[in-house]
Amino acid sequence: RGLAAGPEMHFGFQTVTEEERREKIYQVFENVAKKYDVMNDSMTLGIHRVWKDILMHKMNPCPGTLLLDVAGGTGDIAFRFLNYVRSVRQRQLQRKLKHHQNLSWQEIFDSYQKDQFNSLGDSQVVVCDINREMLKVGKQKAQHLGYSEGLSWVLGNAEELPFDDDKFDVYTIAFGIRNVTRIDLALQEAYRVLKPGGRFLCLEFSHVSNPLLSRLYDLYSFQVIPVLGEVIAGDWRSYQYLVESIRQFPPQEELKAMIEDAGFFKVDYENLNFGIVAIHSGFKL
Amino acid sequence: VKCQHYPPARALQASAALRRASDEHKKEPLTSSSQQHFDSPPAGHQPEQEPQGPHPSYTGQGGQESEDYESEEQLQHRILTAALEFVPEHGWTAEAIAEGAKTLGLSVAAAGMFHSDGSELILHFVSECNTKLSKLLEKEQKLVQLGEAEKKPIDEFLRNAVEARLRMLIPYIEKWPQALSVLLLPRNIPSSLNLLTSMIDDIWHYAGDQSTDFNWYTRRAVLTGIYNTTELVMMQDSSPGFEDTWRFLGNRVADAMTMSNTASQVQSTGEAVVQGLMGAAVTVSNAETSRAVT
Repeated sequence: RGLAAGPEMHFGFQTVTEEERREKIYQVFENVAKKYDVMNDSMTLGIHRVWKDILMHKMNPCPGTLLLDVAGGTGDIAFRFLNYVRSVRQRQLQRKLKHHQNLSWQEIFDSYQKDQFNSLGDSQVVVCDINREMLKVGKQKAQHLGYSEGLSWVLGNAEELPFDDDKFDVYTIAFGIRNVTRIDLALQEAYRVLKPGGRFLCLEFSHVSNPLLSRLYDLYSFQVIPVLGEVIAGDWRSYQYLVESIRQFPPQEELKAMIEDAGFFKVDYENLNFGIVAIHSGFKL
Repeated sequence: VKCQHYPPARALQASAALRRASDEHKKEPLTSSSQQHFDSPPAGHQPEQEPQGPHPSYTGQGGQESEDYESEEQLQHRILTAALEFVPEHGWTAEAIAEGAKTLGLSVAAAGMFHSDGSELILHFVSECNTKLSKLLEKEQKLVQLGEAEKKPIDEFLRNAVEARLRMLIPYIEKWPQALSVLLLPRNIPSSLNLLTSMIDDIWHYAGDQSTDFNWYTRRAVLTGIYNTTELVMMQDSSPGFEDTWRFLGNRVADAMTMSNTASQVQSTGEAVVQGLMGAAVTVSNAETSRAVT
C-alpha cells in the first residue's frame, strides 16, 4: 500500500483508500446478492417494503415517465414503479371510456384493442447497478414475477453513468448512495442525466435524533443484525459493514446541503420512522 | 470542473435556458424524451439547446443571462398558469400540473413540487381571478374619474362586480365543485379565507365604501354571503347563459339594499323615539318645577 493509492476513506469503521473501498463494497454485494431480499425482510422485519411504497407514493409518477433507478440491484423500486404506472394508466383509460358514453359498440371495442398494447402508457424504467451479481438476481426476479415490458438492466457506475444528458424524468437511488464512494460525483451525475424539471429521490438510512430510540436502534443494529447475517446469509462481515456504513453516512441536513451543492432546487427530506430512514427530494430547475 | 459559489438567491439557469431555447424555436416543439430512447444518440432532430443549458456556471458572468433569471416561485407560478388549460380535461389534479409542466418543456416529474391534491393550483387560480377583478374594477373607476362613464348606483355596482368575478369560473365550471371541496380542507382554509376576504374588501373599496364604524363588518359579511350563495347556485345552474344565477344575484343584492334601508330607517326611528322621550322627560320635569314654583 503506497501513498499514491488514493485518499483515505471509510469502509464501515475501517479506514481504507478509495480503490480498496470500491473493491470491498463490490465484494460485499457479490456475496450477499442471492440472499439480499431475504436479509432485507428479516433485518427490517418487512418494513423496508413500506418504505419503498412510501417512496413510490411520494414520486406519484404519471404514465409516460422515464425512471432511472440507480443501485437498483434486485429491482424492488423498478417493479413498484411498473405496478404504479400500470394502475394509474388503468384509471386514466376508465375515465376516458366513461366520457365516451355515446359511442357504438364497435368503437368501444376498437378503443380497447388500441389501448391494450399501451398498458404502461410509454413509461419505462432503467435499472442501473455496478454489481453484475445483483443485476443477475434482479433479472431472474423479473422473469419470475412476469415483468418484461418497459424494463431494462444496465451495468454502470453511479459516479459515471453511461447515459446522455437530460434523459430521465426521475432518478432514484434506494439504499445505494451509502455505498457510493464519491457521493458528490454521483449527485452531479444525477443532475446531468435528469431532464430540466426532473426529480431526484434518495431513500437511505439516516440519523435518529431521539436519544432513547437511538440507543435501542444501535443495540439492534450491532447485536442483532450481524448475527442474522451469519445465520441467514452466512456472512456476518458484510452485515457488520452495513450497520457501520449507516453510522458513517452523513445526517439528513448534511446530505441536503450536498444535494443543493450539486445544483438541485427545492431540496427537502422526509423522515420515516423517526429518522431511521429518510427520503431526500430535489428538482433540477 | 464546475465552480460552485453559493449566492444568496440562486436563479434557475436551466429554466432560463429552456425559455430562451423555446422562444427561439417556437416552431419546433421541444421533443419530450419519452419518445427518444436513451441509448440512441439524439440525431439532430432535437433542437440545439443553449450551450450553457445543462451545465450552467454559477459565477454569473453571463451579462445577457441575468435578466432571464427567475426564482423558484416564479417558475412554479408559470407551471400553474400553464396547467390551467388542462384542468377541464384532467380536473384539479397533479396530472393537470404535469401536463402544464410538459408544455413549458419541463419533465412531468416537476409536478412533484406541488401537493398531489391540486391545492396550489386552485389557490393560484383563485388568486389570479381576484387580481383580474381588481384590475377590471380599477379600470372602471378610472373611467368614472375621467368623466367618461357614469358612476353606478351601489346595487348595480355590486351586481356587476360579483357577476364579472363569477363569470371567470365558467370555463372550469364542471370541475369547480371539486375545487370548492379542496378549498375547504383544513389545511387550505387559512389561504382560501384570506383570498375570499381580500376580494370582498376590494369590491367594497371600489364601491366607494369608506366606513370606519361597525358598518364595515356588516357590509363585508353581507357581500360574502351574497357571493357564496350565488356561487353555489351557479354550480347547479343549467339555464342558458346562467341567467337563473344572475337573476338570483340581482334578488340577493336587492334584498341587501332593502335590509340596509330598513336598518337605517330603524335607526332613525329609534333616534326619533329617543328624542321624543327626552323631550317628554324635559317637559315633564319643567312642568314639575313650574308647579313647584307656583
